[in-house]
Amino acid sequence: MTESTTENRAFVDVVKVTKVYSPDIVALQNISLSVDRGEILFLTGMSGAGKSTLLKLLCCMERPNKGLIEVAGRDTGKLKKNEIQELRQQIGIAYQDFKILPRHTVFQNVAMPMEVMYKPAREIRDRVSELLDSLQMSHKKDLPAGKLSRGEQQRVAIARAAVNRPALLLADEPTGNLDHEVTKMVMNLFLDLNNSGSTIIIATHDTSIYEGTSHRMVKLEHGLFN
Amino acid sequence: MARYRYHLKQTWRNLGQSWGTQIMTLFTVIMSVLIFSFFLLVYVNLINAGNRFSDELRLVVYLNHEIVPEMQPQIRKKIMEFSAVENIVFVSRSQAFARFKKQLGRDSDVLEDLGADIMPPSIEVYPLRDLDHLTQLKEFSDYLATLPGAQKVQYGQGWVERFGHFTELIRFTVILSGILLIMATSFMVSYTIRLTVVAKEAELEILRLLGASSTYVQTPLLIEGLLQGITGSTLGIGLLYILFTWAKERISGPGFLRLLDLTFLPPLTAVAVILVSIALCTGGSFIAIRKYMRI
Ligand SMILES: Nc1ncnc2c1ncn2[C@@H]1O[C@H](COP(=O)(O)OP(=O)(O)OP(=O)(O)O)[C@@H](O)[C@H]1O
Ligand SMILES: [Mg+2]
Repeated sequence: MTESTTENRAFVDVVKVTKVYSPDIVALQNISLSVDRGEILFLTGMSGAGKSTLLKLLCCMERPNKGLIEVAGRDTGKLKKNEIQELRQQIGIAYQDFKILPRHTVFQNVAMPMEVMYKPAREIRDRVSELLDSLQMSHKKDLPAGKLSRGEQQRVAIARAAVNRPALLLADEPTGNLDHEVTKMVMNLFLDLNNSGSTIIIATHDTSIYEGTSHRMVKLEHGLFN
Repeated sequence: MARYRYHLKQTWRNLGQSWGTQIMTLFTVIMSVLIFSFFLLVYVNLINAGNRFSDELRLVVYLNHEIVPEMQPQIRKKIMEFSAVENIVFVSRSQAFARFKKQLGRDSDVLEDLGADIMPPSIEVYPLRDLDHLTQLKEFSDYLATLPGAQKVQYGQGWVERFGHFTELIRFTVILSGILLIMATSFMVSYTIRLTVVAKEAELEILRLLGASSTYVQTPLLIEGLLQGITGSTLGIGLLYILFTWAKERISGPGFLRLLDLTFLPPLTAVAVILVSIALCTGGSFIAIRKYMRI
């Protein structure tokens, strides 16, 4: 509210948000959270605690029943349909259930967010190749994504989330199906993005990826922060 | 520029994914355009032919006495009371005799001993040459029979009237096939779009989550409808033209068929049919997008 905060304004601001799924499943209860621009935040908590729900609220996939959500300085509750689409172009999300298209190739899946923004074909080719390289997926780039293993599909989902170098990257359980080696690749990718300015929120119960780092960690329990 | 490339690329993908349905739709559009423009062609030619029969298109009222020039305006007025006409000609005994003589030509000497008295005077009434009037000749002739001094009314031996009715039937068919054209094309096009939307539901949902604008998602489907319209209507009219040239070569020999001096649809009409079909197809896809797509 005050003038002084505008300079260092939080990139994500969640204020007293409650989310109830019908009929009466309370997924989040009066949650407040703010994430600064350029921060990496780990969101933990037991299964069913509401981590995915919180991420879905940030990208307007779900609507809160109460409270205010601001992303990139914009009140998500007041966005028009086309403004939501514009906001989504700035957010990269690796969904817990991947949401990749099984019949499209790995390349096509990863390229989609760039195509949506009408990026030139050459730029897309270069960027997608670079990403697939860094996740050791180049050799699979022309395979239908449905033919891949879970771990490989997860990397496709992560690559797609990262491809536009989004201002905000949301990763929902990004290392759930990955071994130690690949987890390290993915974390390096995130750190790279963060270095170039992305704000990153990672929902996880993999303690190994945040233990020993200096990044902030918040824990949800039954829809509440403790 | 890059945008159009994207939209075209996506359209191409869509077409490839559902080419079976696409061909069916294209076929429907072609057939509808063909059927409609065929009847339109028949109609246009009938109207043309009607104009050429103008001489046959008259009612002759035979009279038992001549009408003096002073009376003519009054009779004229009486005729016009029933319907507007193109022309009214009063023919006296001597005019009729002279005409008859001319018709006989070299054989006219058989009339040598006879006088103009043998010819009845008459009134020739040329009705307006449009369908409403052509189909009312019977009523008109009954009315003319009530004129003072009228003995008998003769007109085109009924075939003119039948021609009028036939032309009207064709006009009705043109309208009917026009409705068919509108319903079939817009239905088929929106049906195809709906199939595409349903088949791509998962993809559209993900595009939405990735921030695709509605332009990005909808334009390829609109282009799809547009292409169906352009291809279907052009092929339909083209096909009609081929059939027309083929038929014309076959039937336009010497003799009475000269009457059927067939002409193709005027270029402007053909273009109008094509443009309207394109509008129908694009409109069909637009409506389908509005209806079946939430983005
Ligand atoms: N669409 C939905 N309809 C009804 N209830 C839902 C829906 N989505 C989530 N929930 C419920 O909301 C609560 C929070 O779910 P959420 O997916 O946010 O948990 P989570 O922390 O991501 O769990 P996990 O670690 O297993 O992914 C759960 O009780 C879940 O059953
Ligand atoms: Mg979850």
